[in-house]
Amino acid sequence: MAEYSVVGHRIPKLDAREKVTGRGMYAGDLRMEGLLYGKIVRCWEYAHAKVKKIDFSDARKVPGVVKCVGSKDVTQRPYNTTIMKLLVPEVFADVFGEIADLNIFNPVVKHQGDAVCGIIAKTEEAAERAAEKVKVTYEPLPIVMTAAEAKRKDAPQFTPLKPGNLAADFPEAFFPGGAYGHNTPDGKTPAQHMKEADLVVEDTFYCPRQKQVQMENHTYIAKYDDRGRLTCWTSTQMPKPVQNLIAELFELPLTRVRIIQAPIGGAFGCRLGMIGEPHACALAMAVPGRPVKVEFLREEDWVASESRASGHIRVRAGFKKDGTPVAIDADYEVLKGGYYTHGSGPPFCTAAFMYGMYKWQAMAMRANIWFNNMVPYGAYQGYGNPENTFAVEQLVDRACNQLGLDPVEWRRKWHKGIGDDTWLKGVKFASCGLDDCIDKATKAIQWDKKKKEYAKMKGTKLRGLGLGVMQHTSGAWPMLLEYTNTIMRLNEDCTVEIMNSCSDLGTGGHTAVTQMAAEALGWPMDDVHLKCCDSDCNGFDIGAHASRTIYCVGRAVTQAATRLKQELINRAAKNLQVQPEDLAWGEDKEIYCTWDPAKHMNARRIAKESIYSFDDPATGKTIGIPGQIVVTGDDFVKHCSPPFSASCAEVEVDIETGEVKVLSFVNAHDIGKAIHPPSVEGQLEGGSQKGFGYVLTEDIYYDKNGLCLNNDFTDYKMLGPSDMPVDMKAILVESAPDPLGPFGAKSCGESALMGPIGSVANAIYDAIGIQINEAPITPERVLAAIRKNGGVKK
Amino acid sequence: MKKRSITLFINGEECNITVQAHHTLVHVLRNQLNMTDVKHCCGRGECGACTVLVDDDKAPGGRKAVDACMVLAAMMDGKRITTVGGLEEDGKLHPVQQAFIDEGAVQCGFCTGGMIMKSVSILEKNPKAKEDEIRSELEGNICRCTGYVKIVDAVKKAGSWSTKR
Repeated sequence: MAEYSVVGHRIPKLDAREKVTGRGMYAGDLRMEGLLYGKIVRCWEYAHAKVKKIDFSDARKVPGVVKCVGSKDVTQRPYNTTIMKLLVPEVFADVFGEIADLNIFNPVVKHQGDAVCGIIAKTEEAAERAAEKVKVTYEPLPIVMTAAEAKRKDAPQFTPLKPGNLAADFPEAFFPGGAYGHNTPDGKTPAQHMKEADLVVEDTFYCPRQKQVQMENHTYIAKYDDRGRLTCWTSTQMPKPVQNLIAELFELPLTRVRIIQAPIGGAFGCRLGMIGEPHACALAMAVPGRPVKVEFLREEDWVASESRASGHIRVRAGFKKDGTPVAIDADYEVLKGGYYTHGSGPPFCTAAFMYGMYKWQAMAMRANIWFNNMVPYGAYQGYGNPENTFAVEQLVDRACNQLGLDPVEWRRKWHKGIGDDTWLKGVKFASCGLDDCIDKATKAIQWDKKKKEYAKMKGTKLRGLGLGVMQHTSGAWPMLLEYTNTIMRLNEDCTVEIMNSCSDLGTGGHTAVTQMAAEALGWPMDDVHLKCCDSDCNGFDIGAHASRTIYCVGRAVTQAATRLKQELINRAAKNLQVQPEDLAWGEDKEIYCTWDPAKHMNARRIAKESIYSFDDPATGKTIGIPGQIVVTGDDFVKHCSPPFSASCAEVEVDIETGEVKVLSFVNAHDIGKAIHPPSVEGQLEGGSQKGFGYVLTEDIYYDKNGLCLNNDFTDYKMLGPSDMPVDMKAILVESAPDPLGPFGAKSCGESALMGPIGSVANAIYDAIGIQINEAPITPERVLAAIRKNGGVKK
Repeated sequence: MKKRSITLFINGEECNITVQAHHTLVHVLRNQLNMTDVKHCCGRGECGACTVLVDDDKAPGGRKAVDACMVLAAMMDGKRITTVGGLEEDGKLHPVQQAFIDEGAVQCGFCTGGMIMKSVSILEKNPKAKEDEIRSELEGNICRCTGYVKIVDAVKKAGSWSTKR
């Protein structure tokens, strides 16, 4: 394997010191002259109601109030929080049925926490006090929470754009039979194949509405200045697309919209597209010249920003006696929440990732996505894959159990690999390290030894082992646009500035991108600076989503580095009067002629003379080659190099209390090449915490009126430091570098969340012999399942 | 609304201010004194992002970790308060800060300040704190990025340094 001088080294993260000293300035920490405070008035008492009347008379009397802003005081243009429309060809957006059904302040409340109007005041406290004094008269509407309720003929309609409350499905124009998936070349459908199966396992699984729970509440500052420019400081994951969306919403050219990216206090998908940017900008436009800060409270953040998709997925999987996977077929009923936003995205990906994992002869999934009065779902680490993983990994183990097959061997034999379709037909896996992952994970957890030991266990605390595998993606191609522009500029001291709009969610993305640039240049880290927080100077980049930063931005910066070095070679060749092919790089930025080492020059001189270029007073000849070297890296990667992983979990189930304790956990991840190993480990360890939450503790609960029951850290249970398994291993598997990934790297941004889902569910199955189809697998559900089965089946 | 004139000794500096009687310590630190190293998150003592150290004669090391959103600034009159921005000495990081960098325990960084302050209090109470104790004491400081693995490693490492000295 290649030896690198920067890539793969465990250097401190670039932003680590400013974060341990508290000097890192998040959006909420910025201070500005003349700052005003905006408060969004939200509907807390109803999940579905018409706004009849808004009375600001008492609110206006609160000392410090500057302005009360009603729905008619801001743009009436409806919008969609997402960038889906921008990232697919127009015709696709139409076929998928993308709609804009959200307003800055909404005349009809469609979920608890919906924005109704706004207050601007001199202090945050005054804004909050005034918001409480706004008298809103509502006309309550019937509550729709389930798919069955949404489908009823007499159900209240969410939008005339989607009659019957069907927000989205898989349209016939793209998906024959309304199904994502693929028949065999002879045209046989999964249903036809299923008849030839020796065993069909089938069940319905409930997938929970998990919340991202990033630690920094959504916070923005916006200002509409005297030049008519709208600036917004935001911790968005997608600065450039948000610039586009804001420009469209407020009907401004891009030259008059500036997005400045503040450090991101966690995101996990919840800062994809727009959240509070429209409100902050609308309030700022109501008071031109003054910056306005809008900071969500935690309880607002919970009900007003998007969650993970939830719903019921019914999956049928057919197998031959010898385990040969025959077909898989699924129906997914999804609950959209009050607005369209990411309507089609996550369910589409649930199907896609179902297609990408195993060698089914045929596969199909239909999805119906119903409006209801929950908080809308949007993007969340994994984007549709947890739903697939929870159902399919359990069904595979059930089938193996019934066929008398080893679930480890079955996965080894039937997972997809090089040459097979990835999650999208026609895009073939170019690398696969899953076998290694399975070997390393099972070895680390002592699979064979413990399996034997636990099979004989008796008593009230039963232990089990489970394996779960997954494949994910590096970037969203070919589903969505994959483009990044990088500008690399050579300074006069032969260091470089890189301009790219990629965001760093705290994952170490910026550190890794800088490492890759330095490595590609062959120069030290200190000679490279990544500038990526201001739309005024950065070119187009989609932003941090779909685990794309290392893969896509990495490709672009290495390409730019190659071009920059070539330009230096070209200039040296001119100077030394040789051909560029005759030159090579030596130590310390030296360029020398391969057949005559006496001919050499240093890149520093070229860099200096590119700017400080004068005519020689004696000869009149120009010294050096004038013109600062600026190159771009333009990458439209036509692939998605999916990474794989294998996870093993060891659990103990208390059959008297139903409590599940994860004793140890191993995640072996097919990373290709770890650019910044501590960050990769951090992604795997942190992703696991959310994966444990998905499978064991996390769901948003609503009462019958659609009001959220757990919008705080106490009632929404995430695993804390003492709940997490002490014995956790993240194994970075680098045996399958990807031919397309920069330095062979594949993604690790999202994939770790899936690991615990399949492995923990299967470990519970191994411990008690019963599968539990509803996540999170809470003690109540464990006890109910044991009771229903008349005891454990061990 | 009632006001109180109070004296706080913040990171070694005497600070005489008039505060609203109903304002919390985190509110005063951030909004009145512009000390944005103390983060605000849940506002109800659930997450620990705003953890600071306040002197307490009964506590080992003479100070204890407090959620700055759960105490009124007026009640802190006369107290010594240490925030994460006050941990450095002559430009040298506190061992816990250094260990957080070395172990890769910092991701998004929003919980980091509070997490470090809590960790300092754990080690002042017991420099030899074992993993179980560290984990149980850190309950109440929420991190959503790291799974706590590298945070716990960092606290253990900082503990080992302080016991060696």
